[in-house]
Amino acid sequence: MSGDVRTFAPVTSPPAALAARRPGSFTRFLGRRDVMPTLLLMPVLIFFIVWNVIPTLWLLGLGFYRFSLTSGRPPRWTGLYNYTSIINDAGVWADLSRTFVFVILAVGIETLLGMALGLLFWNSQRLPGRRVALTMLFAPMVLTPVASGTFWRLIYDPVFGVLNSIIRAFGFQAVSFLQEASTAFGAVLAVDIWMWTPFMVLMTLAALASVPKAELEAAEIDRLPWHQRLRLVVLYHGKFILMLGILLRTIDAFKTMDLIYDMTYGGPGSTTQLVAMTLYRRAFEAFNMGWSSALAVILLLISIAFTATFIFVLHWRERRAEAA
Amino acid sequence: MSETDGRPARIGRRRVLGGAAALTAASTLTYPKYVFSQTEKNHPLAGKSIHMAVLGVAGWLPSSLSVDMSPDFAKYAKAKYGYDVSFSFAGAPFGALFQKMATSLATRSQEYNIMISDSQWLGALATPKWIVKLNDIIAKDPALNIEWYAPVIRAAYQVYPDGTDNLWGFPQVGDTISIFLRKDWLEAPGEAEAYKAKYGSDMPKTWEDFEKMDLEDWKKLLAFFNRPEKGYYGIAMQWSREYDALSCPLMSFMRSMGGDIWDPKTGQVQGIMDSQVNVEAMEAYKSMLKYNPPGALNYFIAEVVDAFTQGKVFAAWQWLATGATMVPKELEGKVMVVPPPGFKNKAGEVKRNYIIGGQPWVINAFNDADHMQVAFDYIKWWYLPETSQEYLKRGGLPCDKATLSAPGFDDIYPWNRTYKYMLQRSTDFWHDPKYAEMLSVQQEAWTGYMTGQVNNPMHALQYVACKQQAILYDEGTADKAPTSDCNGIRL
Amino acid sequence: MKTGWRQHVYHAVLWLVALIFFAPVLWIVLSSFKTADQILAVPPKLIFRPTFANYVRLFSGQGFLHQLFNSFFLSISAVLIAVAVSFLAAFSFSRFRPAGTNFLMFLLLSIRMLPGSAAILPVYLMYVGFGWKDSYYGMILFYAMFSIPFSVWILKGFIDGVSPRFDETGVVNGASWLRIIFRTILPQVMPGVIAASIFNFIFVWNEFLFDYIIGGIRTSNIPVALSTGLYSNGGVDWTFISALTTTYILPPILAVYFFQRYLLVGMTFGTVRGEV
Repeated sequence: MSGDVRTFAPVTSPPAALAARRPGSFTRFLGRRDVMPTLLLMPVLIFFIVWNVIPTLWLLGLGFYRFSLTSGRPPRWTGLYNYTSIINDAGVWADLSRTFVFVILAVGIETLLGMALGLLFWNSQRLPGRRVALTMLFAPMVLTPVASGTFWRLIYDPVFGVLNSIIRAFGFQAVSFLQEASTAFGAVLAVDIWMWTPFMVLMTLAALASVPKAELEAAEIDRLPWHQRLRLVVLYHGKFILMLGILLRTIDAFKTMDLIYDMTYGGPGSTTQLVAMTLYRRAFEAFNMGWSSALAVILLLISIAFTATFIFVLHWRERRAEAA
Repeated sequence: MSETDGRPARIGRRRVLGGAAALTAASTLTYPKYVFSQTEKNHPLAGKSIHMAVLGVAGWLPSSLSVDMSPDFAKYAKAKYGYDVSFSFAGAPFGALFQKMATSLATRSQEYNIMISDSQWLGALATPKWIVKLNDIIAKDPALNIEWYAPVIRAAYQVYPDGTDNLWGFPQVGDTISIFLRKDWLEAPGEAEAYKAKYGSDMPKTWEDFEKMDLEDWKKLLAFFNRPEKGYYGIAMQWSREYDALSCPLMSFMRSMGGDIWDPKTGQVQGIMDSQVNVEAMEAYKSMLKYNPPGALNYFIAEVVDAFTQGKVFAAWQWLATGATMVPKELEGKVMVVPPPGFKNKAGEVKRNYIIGGQPWVINAFNDADHMQVAFDYIKWWYLPETSQEYLKRGGLPCDKATLSAPGFDDIYPWNRTYKYMLQRSTDFWHDPKYAEMLSVQQEAWTGYMTGQVNNPMHALQYVACKQQAILYDEGTADKAPTSDCNGIRL
Repeated sequence: MKTGWRQHVYHAVLWLVALIFFAPVLWIVLSSFKTADQILAVPPKLIFRPTFANYVRLFSGQGFLHQLFNSFFLSISAVLIAVAVSFLAAFSFSRFRPAGTNFLMFLLLSIRMLPGSAAILPVYLMYVGFGWKDSYYGMILFYAMFSIPFSVWILKGFIDGVSPRFDETGVVNGASWLRIIFRTILPQVMPGVIAASIFNFIFVWNEFLFDYIIGGIRTSNIPVALSTGLYSNGGVDWTFISALTTTYILPPILAVYFFQRYLLVGMTFGTVRGEV
């Protein structure tokens, strides 16, 4: 592992020299403590207001209306009807819980596998062609998900797929991975694991790089058993980065949609219908915009909760760094 | 194929609308005036150059032909009307096409001037007045008043709401379900004898033999040719969750067995959808799975084409519009196209009541005057006898009586005879604006049963009935609210 | 320190792992040089005579070059805009800490945490109202908006890491703020700028849903073409898909190869920095 890994440094206070500047007309205007920061922020604020605040308000408002794009009727006020109908919709609850199961399994397996492989790659500095090997390892996560999804469909195909050819070569029955209610969820999960385990490998390598060499050497000298070395030295220093990795993966897994769109479209039955797909179908297949807006608001709240956790973890680290 | 086109920026600035309510302001729109009588000399567009964009089904031969044949129209228009016209085609797969159309039309855009819609979308396109109502135009232009081969064509491709005289579309391609089968397997030496030895009856050979066959007869034949140990299977059918893949064949089973999915007059679903006969239809369809190749549960049109043309299956349950793809050069002369299974009614007669396929043309209501004019010039050209002949020759399926009744029609392609036969025995389902939402529920529950997510067919039907009843009741289409046992129902 | 054969075995295992993860990608690439029948052949063909016909067909196909241009144009312009405005904002957040910095940073991030279909729904309705659907500016600005949170987070982290003494020296020497920002700070946070650009580029490059919903004929990119062009006259067009995919995954893979050291920064919103 080359290079050091720095994590969020505590924010430094603005330069004290700011106040003691020579006067100048426009420069002075720009230099005023309230003008400059606002001016610099302005473009982002405009983006933020036009593409975020306005649409969000629109979303909030429309959630209280009954509005279908194809009904030819103007929106009708229905109060909380959309929300109550979502809460009473067993299908939405099933999709939400399926999504959480997906998130837990995907992130759990990716984390364990990623950590294992990360540890395996720990001493890989002298690997011939290391950069090519790592590029190959990291390729799945930068591929166009639409392309991955589509091609995995061919790979899984029970008649033409290469995976089933391998299975048959070992003398087993071909499996219709994406077509059976019992295997489809697992098959989609496996593709997600293929795509995102490399990310956890990356995070593990970063975490390992943050472990001070001196402590490792000390552990070596003390002849600590490997599991204690892992727990007391590696995890102690690396747990923050690993935690960030897990959080980011959790948030991303919650959003999974492109992959499903091309592999199963939520089927068979509703066995791979994750909540992002549910929303997509209600909004852009059925054009039931009022109901969908209400569901989007609920998802927004869930995402905000995720984000808050993420920020909390970051700050917790900062505070600890400050206290130290 | 894919969405094509690098068309120059042409779409004018649209009105900036104030809020969501304005989305539906479209309903007060009036169409640019269409000039009905033009002579060759003073066509309003003479000397102009127009570009037309067609939106159709991606990878669907009849849709692609609309643009592939357009150079002929360009020549015709240049000679007859004196303007230059070019065409480009944009497409999306069946399951995504309506989205593509609706997301564009909701912005009052003329991104697509002429569109090929699926027949069931007429309601969803007509209700917000996104497409041109055709009554006045047809009334004033006799060239557009065409006699169709069967009553179902007008009902499926033109009329909304059902039973009225309001016309919204023109048939672009007619289409019916049929079975493509391998004649060369049927006629292979020894097969007929083996069949007779196994079942004690003669193996069906001719089109007429197949016409008489009901589901049970078919099962025997398919079981006979189902040889998984050799990598050959009886039949490839459509089971996928995508779009209406499973719905069309399954509804055909239901209707042919005497069931139905709703009452279009009252919007009632409960009590009709969740009937005993529909349960039997579900079970009957599922019983066909054992003659399908592994993985068939994901089959839609394209997968059936692959399975059939790769020689994996004896027969294929398929839409006729794929004919040219289903019978490539290598298979010419080796394929027979026959009516799908019949069902014995109480009197013991073999009957068929299948779902019709096919797509109508619809015209964007937001076209400016020039594009509107060209759109109708094009449609009129489309129904010229020469155009119909060319379309037929290239593998399209026209709908007009003149072309279909012409002598020799049956012999042009192996599927022509079945096409005419099935047009007399097919009907359409919902044209309701809530089509997409209802279909989505139905596909979910029905594929749930086929794939083993739900084991009780009655439960799947009840789930569909409850959900669809609620959708229609919310919309004001159904008179009755869903019953109380629908509360909290889940698959 | 391992030596000799243990070292070799270790390296072989590492390569094997990399190959296993790469195998599906390799399969796509191999398929793109096969004919349609070879792709569907059972058992799969590993040795075959490569054909370039798929690529000839792809590049001569109507619309492909336009969509490829769209992919490049949309991703590059959106990223340039996003990184430029984010850099200014990040500087402001880092140095002046205006009231509500934390809250704003939080809100910015929460956009990125939202499932795509929820994020695009109100924007679609807004675009319908304003008539911005299928316009380049509508697409570019929306993609820029989506790239901003990421960039602000990365760049703020980097600017935080540059000592304020540099600014002070500049101020004392009478340099204008713009000069300080662009001449003093920018060169020092170049790695952050590159990381932000690469990652937003890959995001916009691979993006499907937004282009699908708010784009149209004029602005559709390759993922949309891939998704809508799956079928050719009835059958799934595997040759088209594999040739298109192979062409399209080249830039992201090259990016991973050449910018490997920025991978970590990009993937973690800049909250973890370093190399692997």
